[in-house]
This record gives sequence, C-alpha cells and structure tokens, in this order.
Amino acid sequence: MKEPAPVDPKMNCEECQQNISVFLDGELDEVVATAMRSHLILCSPCAKLCEDFSVILESCREGVPSEIVPPNSQALWCRINNLIESEIKPEPLPEEPRQGFLSRGWSLTFSQASAGVLAVALISSLLTVVGIRNYFEPTGEDFTSRSDASQTTLEKLLSKIGVVETPQEARERRMKEQQATIAYWTQRVQERRDRWDGRMRDAFDRNLNLIDESLNEYTIMLQANPDDDLTGEMMDAVLNDKMDLLREFSDL
Amino acid sequence: MALVLKNRFCSFTAKTTILLLSVVFLFAPYDMAAQKRFSKTYSAGREVRLKLYNRSGTVTVEGWNRPEVQVQAYLEAPTAAVNPQVLDGVILINMVKDNYDRGEVGNVNFTIRVPHDASVDIETKIGNLNVSSVRGTFVRAKISSDGDITLTNINARLVTAENGIGNIFFDGDIQTNGAYRFTSMRGDINLRVPFNSSFKLIATAPSTRSINLGSFANSNMRSFGDGRRVTGQFGDGSSSITVMNQRGSIAFLRR
Repeated sequence: MKEPAPVDPKMNCEECQQNISVFLDGELDEVVATAMRSHLILCSPCAKLCEDFSVILESCREGVPSEIVPPNSQALWCRINNLIESEIKPEPLPEEPRQGFLSRGWSLTFSQASAGVLAVALISSLLTVVGIRNYFEPTGEDFTSRSDASQTTLEKLLSKIGVVETPQEARERRMKEQQATIAYWTQRVQERRDRWDGRMRDAFDRNLNLIDESLNEYTIMLQANPDDDLTGEMMDAVLNDKMDLLREFSDL
Repeated sequence: MALVLKNRFCSFTAKTTILLLSVVFLFAPYDMAAQKRFSKTYSAGREVRLKLYNRSGTVTVEGWNRPEVQVQAYLEAPTAAVNPQVLDGVILINMVKDNYDRGEVGNVNFTIRVPHDASVDIETKIGNLNVSSVRGTFVRAKISSDGDITLTNINARLVTAENGIGNIFFDGDIQTNGAYRFTSMRGDINLRVPFNSSFKLIATAPSTRSINLGSFANSNMRSFGDGRRVTGQFGDGSSSITVMNQRGSIAFLRR
C-alpha cells in the first residue's frame, strides 16, 4: 500500500493533488480519502484534475493489448520449421491392399503361360479360317441364302460363342442397312418426282407397288417361319430391287 | 336490216373457217416435224463397246458385218438432247445425264448397229430393249421399270437381263465358263438354248412356282422350298444360269 501524503483536516488544493493518484487507486486511508472527497466537492479545479486522471487511468487499463506480449520466438520458429518439413516430405499414406488381376503381378506359372499362348494361337487360327472363308465367299446372295443347316460345325460353334453372326442375325443386320438406304433414296425421289412426266410417274408407282406387295408377303412369311431362308433370300433380292428402282429414278 | 345481219354473219363464219383452216395447216407440218431424227456413224474396232443409258423409248441393237457403229435416234417432242461420245473404244450415249433437269422429255427410239463382236450395255427407265446377232464378251440389258427384253441370236460369255414388269426372252448359246443371269419382278422369262449346253442352274419363282425345264429336266435337277426353286446341273455344268422371277414364270426351250 502506498504511503499517502500527510493531509490537514482542512485539505487544500496542493495536498489534494499530491494524493490524487493514490486516491484513484483506492489505496488511500479512509480518513484522508474522506477529506479529499470533501475538498473535491468544493474545489472544481481539483475535481477536474481528478477526473482527467481517472479517464487516463481507465483508458490505460482498457487499452492494454494482449499482442503486446512478446511472442515466444523459439516456439514460433519450431512451428514454421515443422510446416516446411511436412511439405517437403509428406507423410506416407497408409498402404491399401491391391485388388484385381494386375495386383498379382506377372508372376505366371509355366503352365499358365503355356495355356495362354495356346489359347491365343487357337483363337487366331479360328479367326483366320473364318476370314479366309468370308474373303472367298463374300457375296451377299450366298451369305443371305445360307441356312443353319448349311453352316459348318466351326461356324455354328463360333456363332454360339458370339464370334460370328448367325444367318438370321446377318439377315436382320443387312435388312436394317437396306432400309436405311431405301429411306435415303426415297427422300431423293420425293424431291425429284414433280419433274417427271405422268407416264414416268405411273411406271414408277406401278413397279414400286409391286415391290412393296412382294415385301409384305415375304415379311408375313418370315414372321410365320423365321427359318425359311429362301424367303429371306427373296426378301433380300426385293429390297435390292427397291433400292435400285429408287436410285435409278432419282437421277431423272 | 335482217339482210345486213345475215351478210355479216356469213362473212364472220367464212372468216372463222379460214382462220381455223390456216391454223390446222400451219401446225400440221410442225407436228410432223416434232419427231426429229439423229443419225451418226462411227468407225470402230471389232470389239467395240456400246454403252447406252436411255430415259424412255425402244432401243434396238443389231449386229452387222461392218467395223463401224451406226446410231440412229428418233426423238419425240419435247425432243431430248443426244450427245454420243467416243472414249477409248467405248461409244457412250447417256440420255439421262445429257437431259438431266430438263423436265419433260419425249421418247427417244434408238436403232443402233454394231459389229458382231461388240459388247453391249444398255439401260432404260421405260421401254423395250432388243438386242440381236451380237457375240461380244458381254451383253447387258436392264429396264428399271416397264418393258420387255428380247435377246436373240446372242453368243456372249456374260449375259444379264433385268427388268421390272415385262417379259424376258433369250435365244442364244451358253458358252463354257459363261455366266447368265435373268431377273424380273413380273412377267415371263423364256430361255431358248441349245440342247448341247452345259450349265449349273438356280431357277427361282417364289410366287407362281412355275418353273418348266422342258427338255432340260433330268435327275440332277432338284426342287426346293415347296417348288419355289429348282437347282441342278445339265451336262458338265461348266457355266452358270441364274433365273429369278418374283411373280412370274420361268420356262426353258430347246433350240
């Protein structure tokens, strides 16, 4: 506790100003403090001075920032150093177990490697045989006219495993291609048709109707008996006739 | 007054009659002249090729014993353009290309004479095609829609005849290693060939099932698909004949 300045029971201004600081800290003797209060009530200059002191002290108490506390530079440098090292050498991730064929690596046994080579050779040979046969027998007529009965055992096997098409699949694929071509030429004919004379239009319509009539008949027959390869062949021929008719009249 | 009117009426009638007669006489020669004639002769080697693409009209090709090709065309109104070209031993007449985008074009009837050894390739959209006395490498006749094809006295290794609605008649030899193909949508296909011919046959008439082999029927011929197709061999089968008639008949005649 601070030692207060000696005061007179009737305190004057000088005595009051000497004790202001101790008074504001609350450390002044109660008797002296009472005398000061009496003086401050009666003396405006001293009261004003006391007030100023009080404001200054209050602002000092409130404005003390925590940052003013000097940082621990050693700890700060340690943190920065750790951060830099973590970026240069990332921590290894925990290793997950690998899955799938490749995870086993290429460490095949001799028997496995031999079986693989034999399988590749067998498939290559089969594909070569089929390719050669298709090369020497490429005509659409022969192909579409072929039936299940005329397929060789090898072809049937390949059809079953999906390597080659069955005759029905080949026919359906070919019909889709033909229909697409017919749609194209039909559009061309529609664009040109107005330029033809009446006789040309009549002849075209007559032949097209005849072809469509045959197509309808063959479609019904194939729906009733999808394995009727002769009807399939006729259907293919008539579709070709329709393509030809449309194409040949589109250049008029 | 009535007399004046009568005289005027008589005068008007006479003038009208004269005017009508004038029109008739003026346009009558025009109509006769509407069918124009085109004629040109080209010197040619023995194995010349004729390629003709016609729009409509009758085409007649005859073999003759001269090393030249004579092209005669009769053009109906509205007359088409005819512009034959000679390219590397090929005489090309393309009426389709030469008259493209011209709208209505009248019939063009061709009579063309070629050396006997010429090859003939003719097409038309509508109209009959006649080829006779030709023995070149190939004869091809195609009608896109309506028309008859008549091939007589033909001796070619490759023969193709194809039409839409119409008959096909072939009268000729079947050469060794030859290929003969006849297809029609509707009509009669009649083939007249020598009895000493040899060929493999595929004849298909799916609608009528009318396939008459005549003298060429033998035990080597077999019927398939409930009579819709006949296949087999006649002689040693050194050539091939393929006949398809979607809605008509097929008949073989002995020559």
